[in-house]
Amino acid sequence: MKLKKQDTFFICGLLAGSLLFGSALALGRTDGETVVVRVSGEMVAEFSQNRDTVYRIEGVNGEINVLTIQDGEVWLEDANCPDQLCVHQGHIRHAGESIICLPHEVVIAIEGNTEVRSTLDIVAS
Amino acid sequence: MKKHWIAAAFVACLLLTGCGAAEHTEDETTGSAVQANTEQPVSKEIFAMDTYMTITAYGENGQKAVDAAQQEIERLDALLSTGSADSEISALNASGTAQLSSDSAELVSCALEINESTGGAFDITVYPLMQAWGFTDESYRVPSDSELTTLMETIGSDQLDWDADNRTLTLGDGQAIDLGGIAKGYTSGRIMELFDECGVESGMVSLGGNVHVHGAKPDGSKWRIGIQDPENSEDIAGVLEVTDCAVITSGGYERYFEQDGTTYHHIIDPSTGKPADNGLTSVTIVSADGTLADGLSTALFVMGVDQATEYWRQHADEFDAVMITEDGTIFVTEGIADVFSSDRTFETIARK
Repeated sequence: MKLKKQDTFFICGLLAGSLLFGSALALGRTDGETVVVRVSGEMVAEFSQNRDTVYRIEGVNGEINVLTIQDGEVWLEDANCPDQLCVHQGHIRHAGESIICLPHEVVIAIEGNTEVRSTLDIVAS
Repeated sequence: MKKHWIAAAFVACLLLTGCGAAEHTEDETTGSAVQANTEQPVSKEIFAMDTYMTITAYGENGQKAVDAAQQEIERLDALLSTGSADSEISALNASGTAQLSSDSAELVSCALEINESTGGAFDITVYPLMQAWGFTDESYRVPSDSELTTLMETIGSDQLDWDADNRTLTLGDGQAIDLGGIAKGYTSGRIMELFDECGVESGMVSLGGNVHVHGAKPDGSKWRIGIQDPENSEDIAGVLEVTDCAVITSGGYERYFEQDGTTYHHIIDPSTGKPADNGLTSVTIVSADGTLADGLSTALFVMGVDQATEYWRQHADEFDAVMITEDGTIFVTEGIADVFSSDRTFETIARK
């Protein structure tokens, strides 16, 4: 039952190693989901949700939407579309959420690990 | 004994790292995009019919099926759109009479059937009202009562003259129609036929939130379809587990404007000319028939829960419904009560 000193080191080392490795994976996962920008169905840019960013999106016909990512919140700060629905939609922050600008065919989606929505195939709305 | 310790430590390592790794793999799959092999779905986003659409098909013919679906969407959009002056429907509205293509003719026939069976709660002749409220071009305004009274004289499918044999529709004075209330349901139904023709056994479309699923998921399980909480776009009111059907929701939250503190939504009651105000915040129809599901989601929203319940009891073999009222109560018809789940309590509507 008595453990030798090197056995204890070995076990502690293994445990510490696995904890480090496990937490590295966990951190890697939560280190910002990915904010994906698509125009007419084609991906044009992607950003980490945790890195503050301002990005000028060129939508169809060169029309403009301004994407802002700040403190994990994602929103369209400005757009020259007629309805402004995308700007008024406000902020999103959870994986699975999206902002769509129909006139400019722009989709902003937070992709990554979702909670309730991850078990869903789609949402009827 | 010390070997047990070491073994236990190894197990601990495996559990800790294994767990993290498994979740990580899941992350990668949920973020998957377009890939054409039998295991990964082929998906496409399309902007058409004034909305945002996604098409997904599994299997080796997935790409072919998705391409065919996109062509069909674009073809029907060009035919039916009231927003495009060149469409068949715009031409009809401009001239007052027209011989229609087979697709438009089928839509008109379906629209008239739904209009009759719902006692006018669904009506393609509300288009002039939609224009007056500004819902057709986002120039929102509240029409005066006298303006509405004048417009109401042109509302009613009974003023349409439909010659089904010759596919010729003649509008009454001042009338204009919009098939938009059933066009997406018809289109998703056509896509399911194309999936069949392409040999796709598993696929799904969302045409601006109008969902239609083909078969079951590739692993044989049912599709899990969330129903949006009408009070909060980030939440789900419940989940339906289904195969081979359309799941189509209508709600006042989809399109609305506010003026002087009042919210006006886009589902116009053909009997009043104003946004329907019968206590419902959303109606979801589940049916194998996409066109019917689309039309009925509007009609039952207009009816309100009591009348809608009576209507369902007379047509329970054709569809099922999830209705959510202003006080947050969820009503689910008996036919889908066992495939519906929700964090909240819900009331089942029995056939009687």
